[in-house]
Amino acid sequence: MSTEDTTSTELDELRSAVRDFMTAKADEQAVRAAIDSERGYDDKIWAQMAEQLGLQSLALPTEHGGDGYGLVELSVVLEEMGRALLPSPFLSSVVLAGTALVAAGGDEAARILPGIAAGTTTATLAPPAVDGSWSLGGRGTGDALAVTASAGAASGDTGDVTLDGTAPLVLDGAGADVLLVIAGGPAGPGLYAVDADAAGLTRTPLPVLDLTRRIAKVTFAATPARLVGEAGGAAAILDRVLDVATTALAAEQVGAARACLEASTTYAKDRVQFGRQIGTFQAVKHKAADMLTRVQVADAAAREAARAVDGLADAPDAGVAAAVAHAVCSEAFLAVATENIQVHGGIGFTWEHAAHLYYRRAKASQLLFGGPAVYYERLLAKAGV
Amino acid sequence: MPSEMDQFVAEVTAFLDAHATRRARAAEDVAWGEGEDRLSYFSTDPPDVENAKVAEAKAWQRTRFDNGFGWLTGPTEFGGRGLTTVHDLVYDGLEAAYEVPETGVLSLIGLGMIGPTILAHGSDELKQRYLPKLYSGEIIACQLFSEPAAGSDLASLETKAVRDGDGWILNGQKVWTSVAHHAAIGLALCRTDPDKPKHRGITAFIVDMTAPGVDVRPLRQMSGGSEFNEVFLTDVRISDDHRLGPVDGGWGVALTTLMNERASVGGEGAGPVGRAVALPFLTELLRANGRLDDGAARRRLAELHADSLATEYLNHQMVRKFRAGEQPGPEASVSKLMYAQNLTRGAHFAAEIIGPRLIADTGAWGTYSWTELLLSTPALRILGGTEEIMKNILAERVLGLPKEPGIDTRSPFRELRRSAGATESRSGA
Repeated sequence: MSTEDTTSTELDELRSAVRDFMTAKADEQAVRAAIDSERGYDDKIWAQMAEQLGLQSLALPTEHGGDGYGLVELSVVLEEMGRALLPSPFLSSVVLAGTALVAAGGDEAARILPGIAAGTTTATLAPPAVDGSWSLGGRGTGDALAVTASAGAASGDTGDVTLDGTAPLVLDGAGADVLLVIAGGPAGPGLYAVDADAAGLTRTPLPVLDLTRRIAKVTFAATPARLVGEAGGAAAILDRVLDVATTALAAEQVGAARACLEASTTYAKDRVQFGRQIGTFQAVKHKAADMLTRVQVADAAAREAARAVDGLADAPDAGVAAAVAHAVCSEAFLAVATENIQVHGGIGFTWEHAAHLYYRRAKASQLLFGGPAVYYERLLAKAGV
Repeated sequence: MPSEMDQFVAEVTAFLDAHATRRARAAEDVAWGEGEDRLSYFSTDPPDVENAKVAEAKAWQRTRFDNGFGWLTGPTEFGGRGLTTVHDLVYDGLEAAYEVPETGVLSLIGLGMIGPTILAHGSDELKQRYLPKLYSGEIIACQLFSEPAAGSDLASLETKAVRDGDGWILNGQKVWTSVAHHAAIGLALCRTDPDKPKHRGITAFIVDMTAPGVDVRPLRQMSGGSEFNEVFLTDVRISDDHRLGPVDGGWGVALTTLMNERASVGGEGAGPVGRAVALPFLTELLRANGRLDDGAARRRLAELHADSLATEYLNHQMVRKFRAGEQPGPEASVSKLMYAQNLTRGAHFAAEIIGPRLIADTGAWGTYSWTELLLSTPALRILGGTEEIMKNILAERVLGLPKEPGIDTRSPFRELRRSAGATESRSGA
C-alpha cells in the first residue's frame, strides 16, 4: 500500500519538517522534562504531532482515518523521533496497536483506529506470553499465554468476553486508552480490546531502564473485553505486527545511532588533549569510522526492510528483511551508543550528559522483542533453516 | 508498450541464448558433495590452465563487445553503448544464469579501474587507441601504483620519469601488480619532480608492457599461487602522448583509479567463494556435520547471514542511488570493509564446523578445499587500501575529523624520511 512514487525529494521534505518540529519541541531539556513528568510524555507535543504534522495518521489506511502511506515514509518520521529520543506512545499506539488492528480488521478495529490516527486515542498491544515475550508457543519459557479469555454472559454474536491473567511488560500500559491483548480462548489465541476504565483492570507502572519509554504491569480480573477480528486469529496478526514493529524500531534505532555518531564526531573535533584535537588520534578516528560503518549498514538494512514490508516490487521477502534489520540495527545502535560514551570519556558517564539516555534506549530496544537469542532464531526461521 | 528496460532485457536474453548455455540449476542452489570443491579467491591454476582461461575470457569479452554488450556504460564514440550503471547490473544479473567464462582477469583491473581512468583523463587519441581494445578483450591492462617503499603511503612512490626529448625515461620498481603477466599496457605513477611536495610531483603514464626494459616477475603469495607480480622498469622509453593528465598532475589521475578500485572490490559477492559463505551452503555444511541443531553454531550462522544480507542491502541502496541520479556516499568503502569481514568470518566459521579434516587432505569433499580461502582472506583487509587507511579516509572525508598532525604534505619530496634508517630526514612521522 505504499507509494512507489514518493520521491526522495518528498522524503527529504518530510524529514526536514519532522526534524524542525523535533528541534523546536523535543530538545534535550524537553526530553528530560517529559522523563520527570507523571505521564512520561508531553501530551501537548503529542497533539501537535497529530494536528500540525499528521504523523499518527501517516501510515494508517485511508478507510480508517489515515493517509495511506507505508513504512518507507513512516521510517523517516521514526528516524527523527529516534534521533531526538522523543518520549511518546507512538511505537505502542500507532505501530503496535495500529498494525494489530489493521491486520485483524472488522468492526471493533474500525471503531478504534480513527482515534489512533487522529492522536485522540492511544492504544497499546501487550506481549502475549506469560514471561513478557512475544511468543505464542514453541521453545523457551514463554509457551504459556499471559491472559486467558472466557466467554462471559454477553458472549455470542458480540464477541464479548472477560479476561484473566497478568501481562508483565506492557509498553505504555499505564497510560493507554485502549489495551489490546492476545489471550488464549476456546478457538486458540485471539486479539481482544479492553478499555482503560474497564472493571477488574489494574495497571502498575514499573521502573524502567529506558527512561524515555514507559512500561507497566497489567492485571486482568474478570475484565470485560471485546474480540477484534476473527476468534483464534492472533497468530497471523502477531507475525505481521512483529515484521512491522521490528522494522519501525529499526528506523528509530538508525536515527538514534546516527545522533550518537554525530555527538562523538563533534566531541572528537572539539576536545583537546595532549595539545591536539582527540579526533586526530587514529585510535579515536578508527572508532569513529567503525561507528560510521555500523550506522551505514544499519541504515541500509532498515530501509530495505521498510521497502519489503511495504511490498515494493524489487524488495526482498518481508520476514527476512525485517529480521535482518532488527538484528543488525539492534547490534549497531548498542555498539554505537556504547562507543559514544567511550569517546566522551568521563563526561559521557555523567547523568547530565545525554549519552546514557541513548545507551539506555539502545539496550532496552535490543531486548524489547526478545533480544538476540530470539531475533537470530527468527531470522533463521524466516530463511527456512 | 514494453519499456526501454524490458526491451533491453529481451535483447540481452536473446544474445545469451544464442551464445551461451543456460545453467542446469540456479547459481545459488547448493549441490552438496557434487562437482568441483575448490574455493580460492586467487587463482592457483598452473600456467597452461591459467593461459587457457585467459584466452577464453578474452574470447567471451570479444563476443560481448561484437554484440553490443562489451561496454554498456561507455561513450559510443569509443565503442560503448552509452547506457547506465543499472543496465550493467541488469546484464550481470541475467548473465549469471548462463555458463560463461569468468572474465575477472580483464574486468577487475582493466575494465573496472584503468578504462574509467583513461576515459576521465586521457587525450582523445589515447582513448581512441586503447579503450576499444580494452573493452573488446583484445588487450589486458594492469595498475603500476604500489612500490616496495610506497604501500599505504602511495604518494611517497619513487619510480622516476625523466624528460628525454619528446618523451620520458622511466626507472623504478612496482609491486603487487595483478595480471601484469597478461597485460599489454599498464597505468604507471612516476615521480617527475622530487622538489615538489609528494602529492604534487607525480605524473601518470600509459606504459607498453612489451617495451624494452619492462621486466615482469611473478610474486608468490602466502596462499601458494602467483596472482601478483613485481614489475621492474629499467630505462623504459615512452612518448609524451602516453601521458595521462598534466605533468605533475598524476595524483588526481590516481584518485580516479582508486575510487573505482573501492567500488570494484566491494561490489563482488557472487562467485563460488561468495556462495560458499552464504546461508544455503553453510546450512548444508552444518547438516552434513550434524550441527544443524547446535545453538552456538546456529547463532553464528544467523549473525553472519544478517551481516551478509545487510551488506547486500547496502549494495542495493547504492544501485538505487545511481538509478535516481544521486552520487552514492560512503557506501562503496563501507561495502568493501564489510565484504572482507563477512568473507573472513564465513571462512573461519566453516573451518570450525569442519574441524581437523581441514588441516590435512583426507580426500573428503569440501573439507581441505577451504584452506585456500582461509589463506586468501588476510589479503582482503589489505588490497585496495588497507582497512586502517580506509578508516582514516572515512573518518576524515565523511565525518570531517582533522588530519593527523606530523604528516608532511608541504616539504619537497626529496627531504622526506623514507626508511627507518634514514638520517637525512627532517620530518619524523
